[in-house]
Amino acid sequence: MRILIILAALLGFSCTKKIDLNEKVLNLSVTAEIKGMDPIYANDMYSSNEVARVYEGLLQYHYLKRPYTLVPNLADKMPTVSKDGLTYTFKIKKGVLFHDDAAFHGGIGRELVAADFVYSIKRLADPKLQSLGWWLLQGKLLGLDDWRKKYAEKDKVDYTEAVAGVKALDKYTLQFKLKKSFPQFLYALAMPFTYAVSKEVVAKYGKEFLNHPVGTGAFILPVFTQSNKIIYIKNPKFRDKYYPTDVSEEFNTPYYLADAGKKLPLVEKVVVNIMKEQQPRWLNFGKGRIDVIGIPKDNFEAAVTPDRSLTDDMAKKGITLIKNVALDVTYIAFNHDDPLFKNIYLRRAMSLAYDPHAFNKLFNNDLAMVAQSLVPPGISGYMPSYTNPYVGPKVEEGKKMLAKAGYENGVGLPEIIYDTSSATVNRQMGEFFKKQMAKIGIKIKVVTNPWPQLQEKITKRKVQVFGIAWGADYPDAENFLQLLYGPNRAPGANGSGYDNPEFNRLFEVSSLMQDSPERTALYEKMYRIAAEQVPWIFGVHRQNFILRHGFLKNYVASDFDQGSAQYLNIDLKKKAEILKKL
Amino acid sequence: MNLYVYTLRRLLYIIPVLLGVCAIVFFLFSVVSPDPTLIMLGKHASVQQMEELRRELGLDRPWFIQYLDIVKSAFTFDFGRSWSTKQEILTMIKQGAIPSLTLSLPAFILSFVISITISLFVAFYRGKILDKIAIFGCVSMMSISSLAYILFGQWFFGYKLGLFEISGYEYGFPDFVPYVILPGIIWIILGLGPDVRFYRTILLDEIYQDYVRTARAKGLGESLILFKHVLKNAMIPIITYLIIAIPFLILGALLLESFFSIPGLGAMTLNAVNASDFPVIKAMTILTSVAYIIFSVITDICYTLVDPRVRLK
Repeated sequence: MRILIILAALLGFSCTKKIDLNEKVLNLSVTAEIKGMDPIYANDMYSSNEVARVYEGLLQYHYLKRPYTLVPNLADKMPTVSKDGLTYTFKIKKGVLFHDDAAFHGGIGRELVAADFVYSIKRLADPKLQSLGWWLLQGKLLGLDDWRKKYAEKDKVDYTEAVAGVKALDKYTLQFKLKKSFPQFLYALAMPFTYAVSKEVVAKYGKEFLNHPVGTGAFILPVFTQSNKIIYIKNPKFRDKYYPTDVSEEFNTPYYLADAGKKLPLVEKVVVNIMKEQQPRWLNFGKGRIDVIGIPKDNFEAAVTPDRSLTDDMAKKGITLIKNVALDVTYIAFNHDDPLFKNIYLRRAMSLAYDPHAFNKLFNNDLAMVAQSLVPPGISGYMPSYTNPYVGPKVEEGKKMLAKAGYENGVGLPEIIYDTSSATVNRQMGEFFKKQMAKIGIKIKVVTNPWPQLQEKITKRKVQVFGIAWGADYPDAENFLQLLYGPNRAPGANGSGYDNPEFNRLFEVSSLMQDSPERTALYEKMYRIAAEQVPWIFGVHRQNFILRHGFLKNYVASDFDQGSAQYLNIDLKKKAEILKKL
Repeated sequence: MNLYVYTLRRLLYIIPVLLGVCAIVFFLFSVVSPDPTLIMLGKHASVQQMEELRRELGLDRPWFIQYLDIVKSAFTFDFGRSWSTKQEILTMIKQGAIPSLTLSLPAFILSFVISITISLFVAFYRGKILDKIAIFGCVSMMSISSLAYILFGQWFFGYKLGLFEISGYEYGFPDFVPYVILPGIIWIILGLGPDVRFYRTILLDEIYQDYVRTARAKGLGESLILFKHVLKNAMIPIITYLIIAIPFLILGALLLESFFSIPGLGAMTLNAVNASDFPVIKAMTILTSVAYIIFSVITDICYTLVDPRVRLK
């Protein structure tokens, strides 16, 4: 070992770079490749977070309010909505400038106007671009689908052709007209797919546009390259946007309010490190080279005690633990096209035999919340006091139910195939499921597939049961309930192909209603139907455990992280002190 | 045969080989693998959008047209854009080749120098305790998983001792240097076991040849015999081993690049496989095949340079 140390010392002399303590730099990490900086292709969490550092939308989620609340961003105020709920009129902020770029006259960024949003929405619908966010507006805006269809057959798309559903009434007034009521429409305007881009920049860079992000956001990225690091610099011409002063009760603390009222952004630079492997991420956090980290599974015990608080070692280093229930649900879906699973008693029997609590202990360090139905806590439609009678483990009840299904002790029931993706942990989950079902005499064969194959099998209905999860696109129960809406069957989001006329009817009625107690009541009805009809075996709602260094200020865990970097701050004095301890 | 004619003839072999590679690539990724539009569109895929995307990607065209497209791209090196990142593939390859080579090239050269030195040393002491220790060491090192070296190296030298950067990469000299030293050392250590054993076997084969006995009888020193005579005569298998490894240097080191966050071609290929990014996989397969053929020709030419008995036919 001594020889190794000497060797390393010789070779490694001054082989590390010192952390710069003269400038406020935010050091973040992501675990996946960033696909590019074009908003219309930002369909994963990682790419959409990066896009949102440069580009902005009409609306955003309030940084310090829960439940999640939409507030104006590039919109001057929340829109006026017509009585029939079909027309949304926005006034956009005046004096907002695009970043300077050679695409603009004289290289100086011009003012954002309502027409930029019209252009950006049309880009999202452009059939030649095949955006990954078209699903968001498909069938929603008047005339937009027809416009898309018309140009799908032609060689060139004409952006000057008016579309009734999205219009610039004047320089600063934007109007959307919906085909039918879609109360979730405003959430769409907070998603990066609909963020404003400039047509001059798109025209100048063509296919390379995704490497030349020019938005109105708090940070500038001169050129994007597919690398291991993305470095953003503060936008010196960023408009007067201030850290919020009105916050929810849980954020009413000095930690969150020390910067209240200050002009954004609060740091000079944001460095995003792409680190796909857990260990380097964890070790870099340990060295203070990353400011915040989701705790990797293998390092959980080093950071969190059995009673779910921070270990002394971590606390001494000034590290803070943050817990956040994710807006997601894991589940084992039945293929409802398979005649076997039309038998509700069989579905219930399997659900009763399954032990989600043991699953939680084994695969989530007992940190997740066992799901009673499909809607996670934190959004309306979730019923905190509801207990699903078919959530296990209730092995004896499961056996009786299986007999009622006509398969006493599993006799006469063919072997059921459980498909999952080929990651080790998913195979283990499959084995766990097999063991659970064996308790009531059901034989399971676990088949692992590379993710693309699994996706294809689900789409082509070549599965019997399969393990999967869903994360929220926006904080509305509709985004989860649509997973069981019959017409959404695969390749739509309803991978199980569940089709219940009553559920479908309630979904259709609720999907036209604005957020209200009446709509919540309908959501709850559907929540109950989903629970009791057992279209899936419900798994868990996962919980994120996050660590942040003491020098990182204003950090909030969020399911919708877009644009959050502008609110974060670094205490350089504290950072210097903490780095000595690490 | 004239060297130029031989080289030209061998290079012409690239054509049938590439046609075959294109056929295999096409079969594996267009016929056997799942529909890429599902992966690209993600959880919100609809039948209509999948069809539209298939049309945009040209996947709805007859199979032979698609095959001809692959052949065309193989001969023009115009691989188009990545389905996943929408980036120009040639640019991606250029960007990825630099980090890969800054790691793999110095590590490869150093690894060779160290391995051959140790091999000569143990060959000199063949059958003695030093030789046995070296062989035991080689086998032990080969028995440990490469992942163990990476994890230990990052934790101990990067984190505990703080001697090296734990991970990351910066473009440009000398900025990249701190980031490639630790993975470079691990590369060398990983290669040491198999390389030393291989070179030692080759050198021992030579050491027992008649000409070595003659040299000794003439009174030449051991080091002169080893470096001037044995090493030169052992060069043919060594050259084969070395040059054929070069195309794979360009491909990068999948595991090392992934753990050390080095944005090289290895990491790029891994991403492409995970995302069913067919154009990138196709490009990397074709480029590797071409490089393999070219380096095979170079190997043959090198044979004639180190051994006058070898003639090109």
